Amino acid sequence: MSTVEVKVPDIGDFENVEIIEVLVAVGDTVAEEDSLITVETDKATMEIPSSHSGTVKEVKVNIGDTISQGGLVVVLESSGAAAAEVKEEAPAPVVESAPVPVAEAPKPAPAPAPVVEHKPSPTANINPESFKAAHASPALRKFARELGVDLSKVNGTGRNARIVKEDVQSFVKRVMTSGGSSTGGSALGVEPMPEIDFSQWGEVETQPLSKINKLTGKFLHRNWVTIPHVTQFDEADITSLEAFRKQSNKDYEKEGVKFTMLSFIMKAIAAGLKKYPRFNSSLDASGENLIMKNYFHVGVAVDTPDGLVVPVIRDVDKKSLVEISMELREISGKARDKKLMPSDMQGGCMSISSLGGIGGTKFTPIVNAPEVAIMGVSKAEMKPVWNGTEFEPRLMCPLSLSYDHRVIDGADGARFVTYVSHLLADARRLLL
Amino acid sequence: MSTIEVHVPDIGDFDSVEVIEVLVAAGDQIAIEDSLITVESDKATMEIPSPINGIVQSFDISVGDTVSQGTLLCTVVVEGDAPAAKEETAEASKAEETKVETPVEAPKAAAYSGDVDVEAEVVVLGSGPGGYTAAFRAADLGKKVVLIEKENVLGGVCLNVGCIPSKALLHIAEVVSEAPELEEAGIKFNKPKIDTTKLRAHKDGVISKLTGGLAAMAKQRKVTTVNGYGKFTSANTIEVEAADGSKKTVGFENCIIAAGSSVTKLPFIPWEDERVWDSTDALELHNIPKRLLVVGGGIIGLEMATVYSALGASVTVVELSPGLIPGADKDLIRPFEKVLKSRYENIFTNTKVTELTPTKKGIVCKFEGKKAPEEDAFDNVLVAIGRSPNGKLIDADKAGVVVNDHGFIPVDNQMKTNVDNIYAIGDVVGQPMLAHKATHEAKVAAEVISGMKRFFDARVIPSVAYTDPEVAWVGKTEDQLKEEGVAYEKGAFPWAASGRALSVGATTGMTKVLYDAETHRMIGAGILGKNAGELIAEAALAIEMGAEMDDVGMTIHPHPTLSETLNFATEVAEGTCTDIYMPKKK
Repeated sequence: MSTVEVKVPDIGDFENVEIIEVLVAVGDTVAEEDSLITVETDKATMEIPSSHSGTVKEVKVNIGDTISQGGLVVVLESSGAAAAEVKEEAPAPVVESAPVPVAEAPKPAPAPAPVVEHKPSPTANINPESFKAAHASPALRKFARELGVDLSKVNGTGRNARIVKEDVQSFVKRVMTSGGSSTGGSALGVEPMPEIDFSQWGEVETQPLSKINKLTGKFLHRNWVTIPHVTQFDEADITSLEAFRKQSNKDYEKEGVKFTMLSFIMKAIAAGLKKYPRFNSSLDASGENLIMKNYFHVGVAVDTPDGLVVPVIRDVDKKSLVEISMELREISGKARDKKLMPSDMQGGCMSISSLGGIGGTKFTPIVNAPEVAIMGVSKAEMKPVWNGTEFEPRLMCPLSLSYDHRVIDGADGARFVTYVSHLLADARRLLL
Repeated sequence: MSTIEVHVPDIGDFDSVEVIEVLVAAGDQIAIEDSLITVESDKATMEIPSPINGIVQSFDISVGDTVSQGTLLCTVVVEGDAPAAKEETAEASKAEETKVETPVEAPKAAAYSGDVDVEAEVVVLGSGPGGYTAAFRAADLGKKVVLIEKENVLGGVCLNVGCIPSKALLHIAEVVSEAPELEEAGIKFNKPKIDTTKLRAHKDGVISKLTGGLAAMAKQRKVTTVNGYGKFTSANTIEVEAADGSKKTVGFENCIIAAGSSVTKLPFIPWEDERVWDSTDALELHNIPKRLLVVGGGIIGLEMATVYSALGASVTVVELSPGLIPGADKDLIRPFEKVLKSRYENIFTNTKVTELTPTKKGIVCKFEGKKAPEEDAFDNVLVAIGRSPNGKLIDADKAGVVVNDHGFIPVDNQMKTNVDNIYAIGDVVGQPMLAHKATHEAKVAAEVISGMKRFFDARVIPSVAYTDPEVAWVGKTEDQLKEEGVAYEKGAFPWAASGRALSVGATTGMTKVLYDAETHRMIGAGILGKNAGELIAEAALAIEMGAEMDDVGMTIHPHPTLSETLNFATEVAEGTCTDIYMPKKK
């Protein structure tokens, strides 16, 4: 019986790769070439095989550790039966198990950095380390400090990207013309709106925008300019659904339940989100990952005297139509009475903007970010529809699906809206 | 009848929403679900309903306030029991409690109600290189400044018992030790006669020239000096106790703490014995001992060892860590140690001093280390094991200023402490404890107080040991780069190949430069040899400017100079140096 240290073999030109999986535990029996751990480089993941067979005595690594060639992975106790094998390879382990004091010497713990409560200063968001590291001279760093410019965000135009005074000046200019926001907001580079005195053409009156108007205005503007929108139109045949709805309203009259077309559309959308999960996602802040949601909350735009609000009905997939209808009535009442809590307006997966009660044929709704799609519903109308032999009068409900083209392809957009129409054409399908 | 506190309920993921309307007043009768206030978040406005029935007793919120979950809205007098509501409020107040907790517990400032004798817009506590720089800069920017100094003269440790007197003595040591070297060249001097009284007077002359200059400059700038030991009595007052016991209170708008550091005094050392010195005592030149033990192989200990060795003492240095001058790269220190070993009686590294006992025949020192004897007796012992910040000696807590366990005062990169009008600079804010760091911090603090947008943005702070030979380094050391795993390119130039070094008898020397392998910008440099402290400044400028290899290599350095070695070392890194032979690179 002897112990063998198994180390990372030559894994190519990689150093400090991260361990993402540990495949063995103490007591496991491993054979030569059995995988011990999985590591991940920025190019690939790979498994590190055992150089010997035996029983795992100690596991020297954890998930999240980084490891390089020569790093100790496990200590194996080679069984008597494997002795011959070990003997054969004896020279190697002897060399390998020689102590490597330099690599393994415990590093002294760094002295704890003093904790300082930083008071907010105008340039508090500047990271002093990255600011210092920017390729700029001390004089330029001083200049940038005077203007409050974070040098780590400035692109240098000097030799080898050195930041020169003009770079800081043009950075400031760009920020100023883009409306004062130095981060995130993108400059459109368009002419500002002209200031016009309308009273020169007749009597006018100035009315301040409501708070909600102003706020929704900002969000809608941001969503409109930052999200590449596509709107897909369709018409759902709701003739039979409408008959069913009217009948149900009669059946439930005593209970005081009133079904609206909206509650059926919400149900259909929840089903659509289940079938096409990409519609039930959000882009993360980096824009590089999709966050997929396993819940089905649907927002409903409600028109109030103060402006537009979007309360969210939770778990639409799990609720009955009766429940949804009652909740819809309650929440739109709350919205009009200003009793909605912010939590009532959060967590939506997709929103519906229904103008069916007012009129109009089609419109292009704006996606309610961070959601990736919104369904617009217009007024249903009787239309002649060709059934193969003749025109039939059918009640057609126009649907306008806007989506974030970064997340959803055109084909999926068409599939989604078709699927929702299909469900609405025969509500029994919602049961399936 | 009971009174219940009504708090803001869970309103979703919002903190600090603004109150835009208050719908009830004290005395109003309210019912459950009645709206109390209207708040506005970034998404919508909403009304916060009452959880209970009752009469409003007091209402603590007004329009414009911001509230969060758990904020107390009002107290309501309730008829009978309302257990459900009670529970809810209890939970809410718990939430409030946890929110109030702050990570750093700042001391509560004391209140001062007495009279103020002197008033200042800016008061600077301590007149060392940091303190007087801060005071003078603030005065130049138009502030009314008071400078408090516990000693009778300005200048602090650096001018009086630190950098300046040690350099005056080191210059003499250099001349004394270089003179006999000329014998080889056919010039023979007699053995020097050393008059320590006159030497001390010479050194004191250098000091008084500088401190006198400071006093004159303070006067020209109309900076008021208050002599005495200053301690905070509130966040706007310092009480100064003069040597005669009289007290003065200085009132201030802003304060810059420049209280410096003191020699670290280990408890087992018999300080009461006159033969045991700290660096201040050593600079006093009481006597030249036959055998001197220097405890601590850092910069201060080795500088004094250089002086006393040149003046004729037989020196033994003992250092706890494996090498001298911990912090500099080993390849610079190894030849340095070799030179010292040839001059000194002994250098014991990896060795601990466990006991110092004063006896008639000397101070008996017990060692613990492989090469050191168990014990030995010395005529004098200089203990130079480091300096400790003076943060805990000024009653900073009375001003509400946080001082950490080590005695340092944490500051941000504008030198501001946790108290808005109080700044701190120099040794008292952290390592490295160097005058040239303090003076730069001083300017930042004075300029920030004067409304300028300044930050301490220096990338590097050079370090110098003014020993013989000198050791200087700046930026990253090779050891650090290896540890951080940074890819670098190195060029080292031995002074044995420098014409100037040979002609001035300074062949023990090396200049080493470190460049980032990717950007080719200089990231560190280390120099061993005569005038290393002067030469390192060019490297510091190169690093601050982000100079690349070619910037240094293509700058024409005068020949023959020691400054050339920086140029040559860069050429070594590039593989273009013709002054030494190098095996082909790449």
